[in-house]
Amino acid sequence: MEGSFLLPALVLVPLIGAIITLFMGGKRQKYAKYTAFVTTLVILAIAVVLLLADDLSAYDFSANWIDTAGVKMNLIFRVDGLSILMVFLTSVLVPLALVFSYKEGDRPNYFYTLLLAIEFGLLGVYTSADYFLFYIMWEVTLIPFYFLISWYGGPRRHYAAIKFLIYTHVASLVMLIGFFALGFEAAAINGAGVNFSFDYINSAVGGFGEVFQTLVFGLLFFGFAVKMPAVPFHTWLPDAHTEAPTAGSVLLAGVMLKMGSYGIIRICLENLPLGAVNWQNVMIFIGVLSMIYGAYACIAQRDLKKMVAYSSISHMGLVMVSMGCLSDIGIEFAIFQMFAHGLISAMLFMVCGWAGHSVGTREIPLLGGLAGKLPYFATFMMFAFMASLGLPGLIGFWGEFGIVYAFYEWMVANNVIYLLVLPLLSLLLTAGYYLWAMQRTLFGKLTDRIDLSKAHDMDRIEAIVLGALAFLVAIYGFWPDLALHYIDLYAIGFFGVI
Amino acid sequence: MIVEYVWLVPLIPILCFVLVGFFGNHMHQGGGYLSIAGAAASFIISIAVSVEFWTSAAYTDPGYVTNSITWFSLGGHDVNLGYYVDSLACLVMLFASFISMLIFIYSLGYMGDQGGRKRRYFAEVSLFLTGMLGLAASSNMIEMFVFWELMGLCSYLLIGFWSFNHPEGDAKAINAASAAKKAFLVTRAGDVCLMGGMFVLFQAMGSLDYTVIFNTANLNAANPDTLFLASLLIFGGAIGKSAQFPLMDWLPDAMAGPTTVSALIHAATMVKAGVYLVARCFPLFVMNIDVMLFVGVIGGVTAFFAATMAMNNMNIKKVLAYSTLSQLGYMFLSLGAGGYLMALGMQSGDTALMAAGALGYTAGILHMANHAFFKGLLFLCSGSVIHSCGTEDMRLMGGLGKKMKITSITMLIGSLSIAGFPFFAGFWSKDLVLETALDAAGNGACGWIFLLLWFLGVVTAFMTAFYMFRLWYMTFAGEPRENAQKSHGESPHSMTIPLCVLSCFAFAFGFVLLFGFDGLFTIGLNADGLWQVGGVAGAGAVHYFLELFTNPYTYLTIILVLGAIFLAYLMYCKKTVDPGKFNKHGQAWLYKACASRWWLPEIYNQVSWKLGYGVAKCVDFFDRQVIDGTVNGLSNAVIGGGELARKAQDGNAHTYAGVVIGGAVALFAVALILFVVYGGI
Repeated sequence: MEGSFLLPALVLVPLIGAIITLFMGGKRQKYAKYTAFVTTLVILAIAVVLLLADDLSAYDFSANWIDTAGVKMNLIFRVDGLSILMVFLTSVLVPLALVFSYKEGDRPNYFYTLLLAIEFGLLGVYTSADYFLFYIMWEVTLIPFYFLISWYGGPRRHYAAIKFLIYTHVASLVMLIGFFALGFEAAAINGAGVNFSFDYINSAVGGFGEVFQTLVFGLLFFGFAVKMPAVPFHTWLPDAHTEAPTAGSVLLAGVMLKMGSYGIIRICLENLPLGAVNWQNVMIFIGVLSMIYGAYACIAQRDLKKMVAYSSISHMGLVMVSMGCLSDIGIEFAIFQMFAHGLISAMLFMVCGWAGHSVGTREIPLLGGLAGKLPYFATFMMFAFMASLGLPGLIGFWGEFGIVYAFYEWMVANNVIYLLVLPLLSLLLTAGYYLWAMQRTLFGKLTDRIDLSKAHDMDRIEAIVLGALAFLVAIYGFWPDLALHYIDLYAIGFFGVI
Repeated sequence: MIVEYVWLVPLIPILCFVLVGFFGNHMHQGGGYLSIAGAAASFIISIAVSVEFWTSAAYTDPGYVTNSITWFSLGGHDVNLGYYVDSLACLVMLFASFISMLIFIYSLGYMGDQGGRKRRYFAEVSLFLTGMLGLAASSNMIEMFVFWELMGLCSYLLIGFWSFNHPEGDAKAINAASAAKKAFLVTRAGDVCLMGGMFVLFQAMGSLDYTVIFNTANLNAANPDTLFLASLLIFGGAIGKSAQFPLMDWLPDAMAGPTTVSALIHAATMVKAGVYLVARCFPLFVMNIDVMLFVGVIGGVTAFFAATMAMNNMNIKKVLAYSTLSQLGYMFLSLGAGGYLMALGMQSGDTALMAAGALGYTAGILHMANHAFFKGLLFLCSGSVIHSCGTEDMRLMGGLGKKMKITSITMLIGSLSIAGFPFFAGFWSKDLVLETALDAAGNGACGWIFLLLWFLGVVTAFMTAFYMFRLWYMTFAGEPRENAQKSHGESPHSMTIPLCVLSCFAFAFGFVLLFGFDGLFTIGLNADGLWQVGGVAGAGAVHYFLELFTNPYTYLTIILVLGAIFLAYLMYCKKTVDPGKFNKHGQAWLYKACASRWWLPEIYNQVSWKLGYGVAKCVDFFDRQVIDGTVNGLSNAVIGGGELARKAQDGNAHTYAGVVIGGAVALFAVALILFVVYGGI
């Protein structure tokens, strides 16, 4: 056992918080939210310490875990330029999502337990540097999320929850096969026992054959692409989002989807470069397809939250394209877009989920003219939509801009610059569905199709949460280097190293 | 050096935006005074910067002052954040901040009855001004694009200012919401083209700093095809923002916003950005003669068709909107014809042609500034009329000249200026535009196209004079009709004083040519072979008098303009000529075509509905039935017909755990077989 204990603490604090809130039943229920909030603040503080650190490698932690019969699994935690932003994103979004749902009255202690358990899994995924640990943490995120949907979700919650669980679980099993393949192959090449640590397997990359790399890349890619999600493996996402409670949607879109793209970069691209080259066209095809298909699907949606869910598919398609470019700039802006989309989609789902609760419906055709009655809601909705459609000066723009530029460089290198039409079309469609949704929701005649007598504007706490997110979106949008300089640590020279 | 503080110019209005946005409700006039003060401060700093720059050594060599810091890096190349001051930037900053300041003052009266909404209004117009000033002061295209889109956002917000709780009812609110959406989306179509152009240029040049991309050596070293593609895509952005054919349709609809916003969009900001962009990218566009030809054609065609739309419109603001389109067309025609001549001159080394091309540039820029003054004036006058009558329909006006003396006189000045009445501001620039077009007609292989465009331009000059005086006579002359009878007279001082100030400029700004300031607004290659705006001595009064008044075609346009004014007088004031006679009482196809904007809105609707919603419906159906159907079908097949849904209801996870493990075993077996077959292990 060696290294700093900060990262294990980061991962364990939410678990401890989850256990405490789990037992806060009965009369103590009303304290559960404070306990959970304090827990998440501690995590946020640790994340900020990490963010301000000069040298991230000082926080590496490693310990033996299972070391028997030639199979070695380790407890290794580590952050680098890729994971630090994901850790920060997670630790920012969880407290905000938690505060945003402070009104949750139905068994609140379990609700907060589930959120903290999800945070435990997420932080574990983003900090672990051992395949086995990574896999366990990956699975840890699924189970509480399943319960979050099926206990606290909408009317079709059971269907959505089981669909989510089976779909993503099948994907992660395929991924597990890939992990085993990596582990055994690396052991064969290194000529020692099986060791699942990232470093051990990474040291064997030179010996992986092209056929092996291509096959294993395929398995892992499937596992991660379902999570992202990429068309055509995406249909679990709109259902899960529609039924999940607001906090669940925020975490799902904000950080859980990023597990997929994180995995592709961290595991597929780092370890299987030859496979990546063979799968490059597929990645780009799927990415572009997701972008445009998702954007078109958005136009047809009637449910605000479902529309935003499809927009997530479209925006994660950008990430897929960017990774598929297999260039430093592509990786750089894929990570940036993951971060940007995390912040923006959190806002989007908060706003749309709030509409469902407080206005009574999220059906766009039933809404209308709300800007006059609910000015705070309208302001934040416009801000979030504008950020998501890539308004320059906000964080979303730089992600899109960098990605389309990376894609364009790839086009020039492959002499297919006419493809530039496709990302530009998707940017235009994105503006189209958001503006159309705003027109029908916020503007025009105040709706008389629903009863608005109980509708009231956002309260102070909700406005502060959204304001905090809006601040982050604006500040990173004004100075993208605040995020990029972490990413550069990781991404610059990425394809020179592997 | 005050020039170093030019970043304050866009910064002050955005600070006003933040302050008014958050605290406007606690301020006088909803923060209106603060917004005016901010615009005034920007204007004063712009003056100081411009004067200092124009008197400094940097003005003659190298013709600009620039400085920047690294913003972030993109693909190993730095993207900078900085300022770039040259004559063009100074001119835009000056007229944008000055006219905006006047419009803000006017808004105190015009928006005075809006209560709590004034906060939103003044915050948004301040942000709008930031967009235009930042655009002018930016040192590279990415930075410019940020401000460019900021203006798109503000136009969306302001056109849709009344998109909810409209004082005149829900129908107007729905209309405003749809107009705002249309404005944003149509300009967005141009913006994505501009983004594409920036990618192409960045990839080719490794930078988007003006000093790099407009450097002659870099331009000559780059692949001409790449530059051609970049130019066309960038021009696409200008087409969207400046509402040129075929992306012109959003601007008439944008009249749904408050009149002051229309004035802001048409005079000081937004649509001028496209012209600015083309003028800024002149060194790039001029690398390819076809690009400049294209610019000229788009400009000439828009000038003509937009003018036809204004001929029979009854809405006072819409007529002005079409006239903006038409005048913007003139600017692009001028830049295109000038660029065409410049490119020809560069190919053959003919300095006379290059000088003629530079004249086209000067005319385009000057027309942009002149148009800012007279169009701002005209919109504010129409706002004063609307404020007084409570309608925008000219059929309900008439005879307002007696009740609204100041408005009618200032609007007459604006109309004379835009019509190109001799010695008014519009006259100088418009006749130079036409002269450049005719010049281009006599040169090069594609000269005949410019001859055609010149002809369209002359016809447009006739139509402009006609529809402007049709508007003026219908509004101010004759007997008062319905709403005009109820008019409550002249507007308050806060509205009429800006009118008076603007009318001075609308009359006199053309004289900058005669006082030798034209040297500021020209472009050419300096001694080092680099492109430079300004930096040469002006040609002076005699030159332009000779240029214009020895040219027989100038007299042709003057006669046409006078004839058009007289015709309008006969038809709409004296009523001795029945307007209905010319169009079979509204039944002629030409009349219908103009009235329905050459069916452009209909085409837009059909295309966007079919390509947008139609495709979306198909995708949605495919998504639910085919993809999701397959997924559900597969899971049902595994679990057994339709059991999934039922079992899901009882929430019994054991069943699924079994299914999941079974599936895992099956997959593992498949994977194992694959490995054995391919020998991976």
